[in-house]
Amino acid sequence: MTVFDKPTLAEAAPVARRSRTAIWLARLEGPQTMGRGPRFWAAVAVAVVTAAAYPLFVDGWTVGNAAYFLVWTFMAMGLGVVWGYGGALSFGQTAFFGVAGYAYGVLTINFGAAYGFTLFAAVLSVAIGALLAAVIGYFMFYGRIQGVFVGIVTLSVTLVLSTFMAQTAGPEWAIGAARLNGFNGMSGMPPLTIPWLGGDIALFADRPLYYLLLALVVLTYLGLRMLLNAPFGNVLVAIRENPQRAEMLGYDVRLYQVLAFTLGGGLAGLSGVLYTAWGQYITPSSMGLTAAALPIVWVAVGGRMDITATLLGTLLVLSVFQALTIYGSQYALVAMGALLLLTVLLTPDGVVAAAMRRVGRAFAGRRRR
Amino acid sequence: MTAILQTEGLCKSFGGVEVARAIDFAMQPGEIHCLIGPNGAGKSSFFRLVLGEHRPDSGRIRFQGEDITGLRSFARIRRGISVKFQVPGIFKALSVRQNLEIAFQHHLHGHDLDATIARVLDFVELGAVAAKPAGELAHGQQQWLEIGMAVGVEPSLLLLDEPTAGMSPDETYKTGEMLRALNAQGITILAVEHDMAFVQQIAGRVTVLHFGAIFAQGTVAEIIRHPGVERIYLGTADVA
Amino acid sequence: MDFATSAFSFLYQFGDAFAFLVIASAGLAVIFGMMGVINLAHGEFIMCGAYVTVWAARAGAPLPLAIFVGALVAGAVGMLLERVVIRRLYHRPLDSIVATWGVSLIATQGVLILLGSTMQGVGTPLGSVAIGAFSYSVYRLVLMAAAIGLLLALYLLFYRTRYGVIARATIEAPGTARALGVDTARVYSLTFGLGAFLAGLCGGLYAPTMTMVPTMGATFIVESFVTVVVGGADIFLGAAPAAAILAAIRASLTAWQGQLFGQIGLLVAVIVVIRVLPGGLSGVLRRVRR
Repeated sequence: MTVFDKPTLAEAAPVARRSRTAIWLARLEGPQTMGRGPRFWAAVAVAVVTAAAYPLFVDGWTVGNAAYFLVWTFMAMGLGVVWGYGGALSFGQTAFFGVAGYAYGVLTINFGAAYGFTLFAAVLSVAIGALLAAVIGYFMFYGRIQGVFVGIVTLSVTLVLSTFMAQTAGPEWAIGAARLNGFNGMSGMPPLTIPWLGGDIALFADRPLYYLLLALVVLTYLGLRMLLNAPFGNVLVAIRENPQRAEMLGYDVRLYQVLAFTLGGGLAGLSGVLYTAWGQYITPSSMGLTAAALPIVWVAVGGRMDITATLLGTLLVLSVFQALTIYGSQYALVAMGALLLLTVLLTPDGVVAAAMRRVGRAFAGRRRR
Repeated sequence: MTAILQTEGLCKSFGGVEVARAIDFAMQPGEIHCLIGPNGAGKSSFFRLVLGEHRPDSGRIRFQGEDITGLRSFARIRRGISVKFQVPGIFKALSVRQNLEIAFQHHLHGHDLDATIARVLDFVELGAVAAKPAGELAHGQQQWLEIGMAVGVEPSLLLLDEPTAGMSPDETYKTGEMLRALNAQGITILAVEHDMAFVQQIAGRVTVLHFGAIFAQGTVAEIIRHPGVERIYLGTADVA
Repeated sequence: MDFATSAFSFLYQFGDAFAFLVIASAGLAVIFGMMGVINLAHGEFIMCGAYVTVWAARAGAPLPLAIFVGALVAGAVGMLLERVVIRRLYHRPLDSIVATWGVSLIATQGVLILLGSTMQGVGTPLGSVAIGAFSYSVYRLVLMAAAIGLLLALYLLFYRTRYGVIARATIEAPGTARALGVDTARVYSLTFGLGAFLAGLCGGLYAPTMTMVPTMGATFIVESFVTVVVGGADIFLGAAPAAAILAAIRASLTAWQGQLFGQIGLLVAVIVVIRVLPGGLSGVLRRVRR
């Protein structure tokens, strides 16, 4: 039988049509993300319900602490997109975190919290973070900077920013009414405040803020799942695997890299804004060398190639680190270092990712993909 | 008829080595054209110049009459060129289906995309392994997957760099028939090849490169009888 | 203040910065420049050398011997680390960043736990000399000489000894070297150990001028990375001229605006160089030499 006996490219068996909604919903599951099927989504639902019920059983301070953990997840997921899916190790997340945080501070200190301005300031600050990411991304990826040099350039940018901010201690360093304050950091900005008829609701580190953050995390997570399984995510992964081939298939590789980097930067900015609004406080050390490396730790240990593993891993590492700091503070960093080392040597795809795969194998009968 | 691919005075050298010396090349739509020549003749370099991986030192490249010399690679691809390199350019960690999706998705969406993927899987006989990571396929299957990725978007021009490298004689023959079927459906083909039996199986016209310049051009029969061609190959046995 | 005095002052600042950058980055230039491994534990090898040096000196050894011992211990630790960790990460540069950062954390915290937050150091020997209105540390002048001596010694090592030839060959074409019978694993091990030795040497040389704290490596790491990246892969065509240029930038900016701006200047230099000269200085100078 020769190839002439096969249907030619022009004819074939018909394929069922799918509506656009169906297509987008189907993207919640896909080749780029782990976890599919009713059991998985049931587990997700249980997790969300548990998280929502959690504040009913613990005091306000603990809820505020849990909210603190949720704040960091956006930055981690952003890094997951840039590093895990895009293949570019960026130390720049904390730069966008810091810039957006300071932007929120400057805007709200100058213009106050009335009429929902804090919400507008939050959105604008995230946009500023994303814009900075776009500029730096353009500089790097259109300048053919690849591989470890992306890490070096982004780390340098982060350090320049943190060093610069650290020496803004004098009163001449102020934007409007907001003093930058050098090492001591900026404080006194209002928390996120929702305009309300009976009186504005200020979201301090307590239950209402927690619920807002939880909702944002869930929305971001689902949104990213859909995006990463969409054609955009496909191209990102193709670029990670073989950038020359991706270009030869008709994709402007640099553009996609900048887009992914901007998305990651925007998410980092979101973390920055939420952090500043959570504690009414931001300092240059949030952009320093240690801070720049922390997201790398969360994402590396969790698993960078899958967004669920990144999210869970971040929460896990943050909790473990906090527990260690409280109960055996000296050993916390040693344990962190050992964790990093063991992860790279034993489960380079991430501890949480490996665990998820094992759980998946135990539960699933049929093969994935 | 406007030449589908044309180069005018294409020159390129790398640190003193001239890989392209004023190449004036033209091929017509509907051809199957093979580019042959001894190792180091500049065949792959010519390819890379056409695709935009290297910028020529001087000269122009025209695709369907349009000057593409200043365009980046992805822009040239988008205008209807597809390429398959010698080294398998598939995404080994991704599934066969995903490879095809990536190849087609900027051209096709939704239902058309699904339908085309189904057709191509059928055509390259990989329907049964659509979910397997592409790296686990046999070498010949990987080559066919790549051909499928290249033709699913129905390009005007298909560039192939040694499409049968590493294939068995059976696989080589099958590939030749596949290419002829594609050509019959309107795809113009330019292939760099070493295997003269394959060239004879598929080619209409042949261009011989030697030291970066065009040495001879003509139909397969003319080139085979050309005394100079045999000489520059130093009497290799596979010139029939 | 007359011209001669301020000129000498600037030259001193320049020489001091140059020596610092050369000595601090030599080890990293070998490891990153030659082997392509990003070693974020570089600062901790420096700390190791410094601590061992101080311990040996306070145990009675003369300072030069103590420094040598410090460097040796760091080198040995380096070879051990190479065997256990680095060996598996040669083709995974991003993973080597993460892994060595983990090692750095363990080392810094471990030393903090075992030896406390500070250790008593040794004073700077050789006193100072007065020129014009300022007094200059003689020891730091010695360090400038040491930097030049170090470059010379490394040149002799890599270009005049058998090890040097084999190491350069292995790093450039490991497959070919192996086919010629070279034990490439041993070469990598020795070269990484050499890098660690040089870092330990840096620690030992600067120990008498610094306070012994577990995080003292952090003082060196940013500057040495900057020098190595700006310099490119070659130590002599790269790191050395890079150190000179960066030292000039550093000295000028510090004199003009202060320490922090000096630091910023270096980081900006890195960004610019990566963008404009992807191979670093050595990339440019190699082409010129040809």
